[in-house]
Amino acid sequence: MTLHQMLVFLIIALPLTGFLVTALVGRRLGLNAFWIPVAPVVGSWLVAMYVIATFHDVLPAGTDGIAVTLWQWIPAGTFTVDFGLFVDNLTAVLLVVVTTVGMLVHVYSIGYMRHDPGYWRFFVYLNLFMVSMLLLVLADSWLVLFLAWELVGLSSYLLIGFWYRKRTAAEASKKAFITNRVGDVGFALGIMAIWVNTGTLNIRDSIELLVGPASMGATGSLAFAGGIPVWVIALLLFAGAVGKSAQFPLHVWLPDAMEGPTPVSALIHAATMVNAGVYLVARANPIFASAPEAMAFVAAIGIFTAILAASIALTQTDIKRVLAYSTLSQLGYMFAALGVGAFTAAIFHLMAQGFTKGLLFLASGSVIHAVHDEQDMRKMGGLRKKLPHTYRTMLIGAIAMSGIPPLAAFFSKDEILGESFKLGFQWVWAIGILVAVMTAFYMFRLIGLTFWGKSRVDPAVEPKIHESPRTMTVPLWLLAIPSVLLGIALTWPGPPLGPLFGMEGEGLLGGYLKPIFEHGQEILGRREEAFQLAGIDGMLLAISIAVALAGMLAAWRLFGVEIGPIRGASRPALVASLTKRVPFLYRASANNWWFDDINNLVFVVVGGRIANALAWFDRNVVDGVVNGIGALTRRSGGGLARVQTGRVQNYALGIALGLIAMAGSYFVILGR
Amino acid sequence: MTVGLLSAVVFTPLVGALVIGFAPARWARILALVTSLIAWVISLWVAVGFSAGVQGFQLVEKLDWIPIFGIQYKLGIDGLSLALIVLTTTLSWISILASFAPIQTRIKEYMISFLILEVGMLGVFLALDTFLFYIFWEVVLVPMYLIIGIWGGANRIYATIKFVLYTLVGSLLMLVAILATAFAYQGAHGGAWAGAFDFEALKAYAGTTGFADGLQLLGFAAFFLAFAIKVPMFPFHTWLPDAHVEAPTAGSVILAGVLLKLGGYGFIRFSLSLYPDASHTYAPLIIVLSLIAIIYGAIVAMVQPDLKKLVAYSSVSHMGFVTLGIFVFQEQAMDGAILQMVNHGLITGALFLLVGVIYERTHDRTIAKMGGLAALTPVYAATLGFFVFASAGLPGLSGFIGEFLTLIGSFVANPWVAAVAAVVMILGAVYLLWMFQRVVLGEPSAFLLGLKHHLSDMTATEILTLAPLGALVVVFGLFPGILLNLVSGPAKVALAAVGQGTAITVDPIWVAAGLGFVVAVIAWRLLALRPRRPTDDGGSAVQTVEGAA
Repeated sequence: MTLHQMLVFLIIALPLTGFLVTALVGRRLGLNAFWIPVAPVVGSWLVAMYVIATFHDVLPAGTDGIAVTLWQWIPAGTFTVDFGLFVDNLTAVLLVVVTTVGMLVHVYSIGYMRHDPGYWRFFVYLNLFMVSMLLLVLADSWLVLFLAWELVGLSSYLLIGFWYRKRTAAEASKKAFITNRVGDVGFALGIMAIWVNTGTLNIRDSIELLVGPASMGATGSLAFAGGIPVWVIALLLFAGAVGKSAQFPLHVWLPDAMEGPTPVSALIHAATMVNAGVYLVARANPIFASAPEAMAFVAAIGIFTAILAASIALTQTDIKRVLAYSTLSQLGYMFAALGVGAFTAAIFHLMAQGFTKGLLFLASGSVIHAVHDEQDMRKMGGLRKKLPHTYRTMLIGAIAMSGIPPLAAFFSKDEILGESFKLGFQWVWAIGILVAVMTAFYMFRLIGLTFWGKSRVDPAVEPKIHESPRTMTVPLWLLAIPSVLLGIALTWPGPPLGPLFGMEGEGLLGGYLKPIFEHGQEILGRREEAFQLAGIDGMLLAISIAVALAGMLAAWRLFGVEIGPIRGASRPALVASLTKRVPFLYRASANNWWFDDINNLVFVVVGGRIANALAWFDRNVVDGVVNGIGALTRRSGGGLARVQTGRVQNYALGIALGLIAMAGSYFVILGR
Repeated sequence: MTVGLLSAVVFTPLVGALVIGFAPARWARILALVTSLIAWVISLWVAVGFSAGVQGFQLVEKLDWIPIFGIQYKLGIDGLSLALIVLTTTLSWISILASFAPIQTRIKEYMISFLILEVGMLGVFLALDTFLFYIFWEVVLVPMYLIIGIWGGANRIYATIKFVLYTLVGSLLMLVAILATAFAYQGAHGGAWAGAFDFEALKAYAGTTGFADGLQLLGFAAFFLAFAIKVPMFPFHTWLPDAHVEAPTAGSVILAGVLLKLGGYGFIRFSLSLYPDASHTYAPLIIVLSLIAIIYGAIVAMVQPDLKKLVAYSSVSHMGFVTLGIFVFQEQAMDGAILQMVNHGLITGALFLLVGVIYERTHDRTIAKMGGLAALTPVYAATLGFFVFASAGLPGLSGFIGEFLTLIGSFVANPWVAAVAAVVMILGAVYLLWMFQRVVLGEPSAFLLGLKHHLSDMTATEILTLAPLGALVVVFGLFPGILLNLVSGPAKVALAAVGQGTAITVDPIWVAAGLGFVVAVIAWRLLALRPRRPTDDGGSAVQTVEGAA
C-alpha cells in the first residue's frame, strides 16, 4: 500500500475504531463519553482533507482516482467481489460534505445530547453512521456500495429510534428502514443485472463494459450474454435512489424520521445520507445517459417530488417537519437536474443544500433546545433577541435556501433551473420556478413564526430561555460560512480561484467534475453550457430572483418581518381567510396529501388482512389436510384394531411384508 | 482399518452417553458438555487437516457390514459435510450448555438423548453408504421424539407424534427408494451386490449409464418427500411450528440449526447425484414451491402471536432459499444454498436461544405481552437486535451472503425468479422489525414490570452460548471465503453430476393459476368473515394493524 492508499483506508478506520471502542467501554465513561467518538471523526476530516488536496499529485498516469483493495470479500467461482475503496473527484466532493458536516454535528452533539441518559449510545450510533456513510462514498464495488447503503439504513434506524421508549420514534424508525428496503430490492436486482451483463461488480469496470467503448453495443458485453437492457438497469438503480433519497412515492419515511434527535436530522436526513441517491445516479451517469427514457423518468419523479413536498411545507407547524419537507423538495431539484443531464448542477446543489440544510437543522435544534423540546412553531415567536447567534445563522440559512444572491443555494438552484430550460426541459423549469416561490415563502414563514413578532412561548418556559452553549453555536457559524460563500467560490469563472486551480472559464466545480461526467454527457449529446449573463441566462436569472423575492414578500406580509429597518406585523386574520378560500388545497397540504392514510390503508389494513388470511389458510387448509389424514388413519385404524396383537413378532412380520410389497411394486412398475 | 478420525467424531457422543448412563446423575451435565466439547475439538481437528483443493472424499473409512448385500460401514468427508459437521458439533455443545438451567428433571436421560441425537446427525452428514445413511437418518428421529415429548411444553404429545409420523412417512419411502435403487444397481451388474449401497459406486453408475427413467422419477419422488418434509418445504412445513413451540429451547436450536439441514444436504448429496434426469424434471416444481415458501413463510410469520412460531415461519422462508439455490442448478446459487444452510443454523439457532432466554424469565412467549426490554435488559436487547438484523439479511453479516448468492444465481436462470424471491428483503424486515419493536422498544409492559427482579439481564452462561454464534456471524459475513473455499468444490461436483441448468421457463398459465388460487383464498377470507376478535391462537388481526409498516 502506498501512503495515500493507507490514508484512504484511515478515513474509514478512524471512526470504525471510535465506534468499536465506544461500544465496548462507553457505558462506563458517563459524560466523558464524547472524546473517544469525536476525536476520530475530527481525525478523519483532517485525513480526508489532506487526501483530497494531494491525491492528484500521486495518481498513476491514465487513472483518475486512487483505488485500494482491502481483501477479496466474496470469492464464489466466477462471481468475485473485492472489498475495495476508490477516491476520485466525485468522491472527493462528497467527502468534503460528509466529513465536514459530520465533524460539526459530532461537536454540536457534545452539548446538545449532554442531558440525555443515552449519551454514549448516541455517539456509538453516530460513529457507526460515519463509517457507513464514508464507506458509501468510497466504495469501489456495487456490492460494497450496497453494504454501506444498508448500513446507513441501519444507523438511520438506530438514530431515528434513539428515544426508543417513544412509540412514535419506534414506529418512525421501522417505517424508515422498511420503506428504504422497498427501494433496495430494486437496487439489489439492478446489481444482479449489472453482473449478469458484465461479469464484474467493480463500479468503473462494469460501467465501461455496459456502455463504454470496450463493449460491442449499448446493451451487453461479450462474455456474459445476460441481455438485460440498460434502461432496466438504470431504473432498478434509480429505485434504490428513490428509497434512500426519499423521492415520491417512497418519500413518506423522511418527515417521520424527524422523531430522531435534531443532530441526526441535520447529519443524516439533510446533509449526507439522503444525498446517497443523488450520488448513486451521478456515479452511474453513463448508464443513465445510455437510457434517455430512464433519464426523463428521473427528471419527472424529481420535479414532482419537489413541488409535492414544497406544497406540504407551506402549512406544517412543526419546525423540523418544515425543514424535512424542504429537504425532500430540494432533493427533488437534484433529481430533476440529474434527469435533464445537468449532473454538475445536481452535485453543486447537493453541496449547497447539504451545508445550508445542515445549518438550518442545527439551528432549529438550538431553538428546540432553548424552548425546552417544543417543536410547534405556534408556541414560539419573538426569539430573535434571546437567541442572537441562532437567529442570525438561521436567517442566513433561510436567505440562502430561498435563492437570494449571492448565497450558495442561489447559484446551485439557478444552475438547475437554467440548465433545464436550455436543455429543452421547459416543463421542468416551469414547475421548478413554482417550487422556488414556495421555498422562499415557507422559509420566511418559518423565520417569522419562530423569531419575529410576539412570543407565544409557554410562560413557564419563557424566563428560562437562553442561547445554547458554544459547542452548539460555533458549529452554526462554521456552517454559515459555506452556506454564504460556496456558491461564489465554486462558480466564479474569473480570478482568483479559477486560474489558481487551472480551470479558468468554467467554474471550479464544473472543471473539477468534468472527468466524471464527460462520459455521460458524451453519450447523451448534451453539455452544460457556460453561463452568459447577457443572454437567455440573464433573463432566467432575473426571473429566479424575482420569484424568490415574491415568495419572501408574501411570507413577510402574512407572518411579519423584523430585519433592521424593514418592519411589518403578522396578519393572522389574513392567513385564516386565505386558508378558507382554498379549503381543499389547505387540507391537502396540512395532511401531507393523505399519503400516510393511503399507505396505512393499503399496507397495514389490507396487507394485514391478507397476512391473516394466509395464516388462516396455513392453519386450516395446509395443516388441516395433514391432521385430516391423521384422523382418517385413526378412524380406519379402529377397524383394523384386531391386527394389534401386541406381539412384536407379528409387527416385524408386518413391516417385512410391507417392505417387500413396496419394493416389489417398484419392479412391477418398472417391468424388470 | 482402525478407528479413524471420522468415526471418532461420530461416536464420541455415543461413548459419552454410555458413560453418563453409568455415572451419577449429578455428573450428567458436565459429562455431556465435556463430551460434546471433545467431539467439537475433533471436528475442528478434521477441519484443520482437511485439504479444500482435493476432489472427492477424504478420510474415507470402509468396513464390510452386511457383505451379502454389499452393505458397508463407510464414512467420508468433503467440504460440504465438513461445514455441516462443524456446525453440528458447535451447536451441540452450545445447546447442551444452554440446557443447564432450563432442564431440571430427568437430566441424565435428557443428556443421553441429546448426545445420541448428535451421533445421528453427524452420521447422516458423513455416511457414504445409502443403508448406513438411512440408519443414521432414523437414529436422529428417536431422541428428538423424546426431547420434545418428555421435556416439551403443554401440547408436547400432539407435536411430537405429528413430528415423528410426518418424518417417518418420508423416511420410510426413502428406504424403499434406497432398496429399489440397490436392486436396480444389482440387476445391472449381473446380480452382484457389491456397490449396490455404496454412494460412490451408485453415483458413478448414475453418471455413466444412469438409472432407468421410471426408477429415477419414483426414487427422486421418494427421496424428495423425505427431504422436503425435513427442510421443510411448502406445503410439508406445518409440523415445524408445532414442534418448535413445544420443544425445549435446546431442542429448537438443534431442530432449526441442524435437523432442517439434513434435507438440504440430502438433496445435494443424493437426489442430484443419483437421479440427475429426474432432478431436471422436478426442478421447476421445486423452484415454484421454494418461491412460495420464501414469500408465504414470511407473510405468515408477520401475524404470528408467539415468538417461537414467528421464528419457525421465518425458517420456512429462509430454507426456501436453500431449495431454490439447489434446484436452479447454477454455481453461485448452489454455493449460496450451502452457505444459507450454515448461516441459517447460526442465526436461527441464536434466535431460538434468545427466545429461550426470555422464556426462562417470563414463562411466556406471547409477543403482545412483551415490550420495553431495551430499558429493562439492555444487553439482551442489543443481542436480539444484532441477530434480528443478521436474520433480515443485513450485508456484512453472514445471512446476507447466502441469500445474495442464491439470488444472483437464480437471476442468471430467470430474472423473475430472483425478483420474486428478493421481495423477502422487505417482508423479512417487516416481521422482524415488528417483532423487535413490540418486544424490545417502547415503554416496559405491565406484564414485564410485574416480574420485578425475576427479569434479570442475560447471565454469563447465556452470553457464552451466544457470543460464539455472534462472532461467527460477523466472521462469515466479512470473510465468507472461509466457507466458500470449502463448499465450492462439492458444489461444482454436484452440479457436474446433475448438469448445469439451462434457463428456466415457467408456463404463464401455471403462474396465473397459482396467483388466482391465492387471490381466491384471500378474497374468500376477506369477504366471508369480519375480522375476529383476538383469541389465543388467531388473535393476530389487531397486532397486525398496529405492527405492520
